[in-house]
Amino acid sequence: MNFLAATIESLGAKVTGWFAVGYAMFAFLARATLLLLDRTTWNRATLDVVVKQVYFTSVQILHVFLGYALVISWLIITIILSTARDFGLTEFASEMTIRVLVLELLPFLTALFIALRSGSAINTEIALMQVNNELDALAHCKVPPMQFEFLPRLLGGVISVVTLAGLAGLLALLTGYLAIYGMNTAGVEPYTQTIAKIFDFQIVAGLIAKCALFGLAVTLIPVTAGLETPKKLFMVPVSVLRGMMRVFFAIVAIEVVSLALKYI
Amino acid sequence: MNTLHFKVGLFTAVSLLLAGVFLAYLLHARGFFEGTFNLQLAASSADGVAPGVPVVFSGIEIGNVTTLGLNEEGGIIIHAKLLERNAKWLRENSTFTLDKPIVGGAKIRVNSPDLNAPPLPDNAIMLMLTSDISKEIPGLVERVKAILDNIEHLTRKDGEINTTLANVQTVTGRMAGEYGMLEGMLGSQEKARAVTESLDKTRDLIDKLDSMAAKTDQWLYAQDGTAQQVRLMLNDVQASLQKADALMANAVAISANVKAGTQDIAALRAEIDDAVLKASAMINAINRKWPFARDLEEVKLP
Repeated sequence: MNFLAATIESLGAKVTGWFAVGYAMFAFLARATLLLLDRTTWNRATLDVVVKQVYFTSVQILHVFLGYALVISWLIITIILSTARDFGLTEFASEMTIRVLVLELLPFLTALFIALRSGSAINTEIALMQVNNELDALAHCKVPPMQFEFLPRLLGGVISVVTLAGLAGLLALLTGYLAIYGMNTAGVEPYTQTIAKIFDFQIVAGLIAKCALFGLAVTLIPVTAGLETPKKLFMVPVSVLRGMMRVFFAIVAIEVVSLALKYI
Repeated sequence: MNTLHFKVGLFTAVSLLLAGVFLAYLLHARGFFEGTFNLQLAASSADGVAPGVPVVFSGIEIGNVTTLGLNEEGGIIIHAKLLERNAKWLRENSTFTLDKPIVGGAKIRVNSPDLNAPPLPDNAIMLMLTSDISKEIPGLVERVKAILDNIEHLTRKDGEINTTLANVQTVTGRMAGEYGMLEGMLGSQEKARAVTESLDKTRDLIDKLDSMAAKTDQWLYAQDGTAQQVRLMLNDVQASLQKADALMANAVAISANVKAGTQDIAALRAEIDDAVLKASAMINAINRKWPFARDLEEVKLP
């Protein structure tokens, strides 16, 4: 009896914990959004931090990222093309390539890339600041951390994921054209036709929204995970671990929901 | 100069530029900057057609179906939309066929045999034909079934094919015997033997004929042979006839004063008689010596 009660209690504690985490996250997002709407937020200092965030999140890794996107795109396009040729379905190859790469795979990989590189860094940084009472100190010095630490990171994340996924997508479109039609302009018309068929307004809006949500997930979740770290140094790795797990689940959930909305 | 700001600025500018170019390209591709061309297709059935079904010309999609519905007479009217730049592929003699392949989605195939024909006006109504492979399958299956039934009937136990095969086996069995193919064709060893014996006899006969022909040849054409003699006699006859001719001429000349020369006529008569006798004798000789004039013993083949 005792055992059953203990199990139910632990389950309740877990569910309460999830709710608390979820609530904290969305409350934080609401505060950030409200702050974004405030005119006083838009000053030179905040903008400077946003620029720095964009630099560290995307410009610094641009060449590595584009190289990686190129290799992945080239491989996947070649695989799809040869498979389509084997089964005599070449006319569907270009559409398949664009749908798989530009709409699904590249945004997903971009989000993972940014999450692993910047998300983990943000989580660690905030957790350390929290443990070392730096956030309180900043607030005490009239430097609200929300405006100068958190909001710029969220903005930087969203801008970075949207831009990087867009650039990788354009690169994949170009690679796809070269792989299918080679170095000539003969295929421009059918390729344009295929692109026009795929990218209607809903798809483009959905793609941008998905990338923005990815960007938000890879920054918002690490920030809130860092903020809920107990003030003990050994809790920092635990905080990063939890934060990254949540980021991973959030990215997968966004991808699954977007696929479901698009194809079901 | 702040390199960090410069890099971020460059990144933003290039990204925005690319985004803008792609947006413009996309709008162009989707026909935002040009008008649309409307096409109406009349069909007997809308089976398999739905909004979004592509209109295909030479394998390239040039437009798609927007709506479809019934008209007042209960016929189907399919509305399709094309970009204006693709309208040039539609001519007044174009044909529109609904293709429903077994694998892949339905599509409306446009065939324009003559691209110099007058272009199709906007909102034109054309007839759409249907080529549905899946509809033909039941008929095909029925026919295949009938064929299979026939084959089954032919190959049943003690059916025609089996009997034929048994016969073939008998024939080939005979062929393997002493007289081979002959025995196979004639049915028994005795008949085959008769044929071979007849053939042997024929061969003997031919040998005999051969020797006879050789003898005849010698008899006819050798030195002092019949042919030679005939030629000599003919020469003789010719000479006699020339003489007779001359004599006849004389006779005509003489006949004016026949009275004077009646004694000559007796001599003339004697000479003509002689010539005629010679000719007669020659003809008799020829008749006698000519090998093919008399009856030969006929060669009878068995």
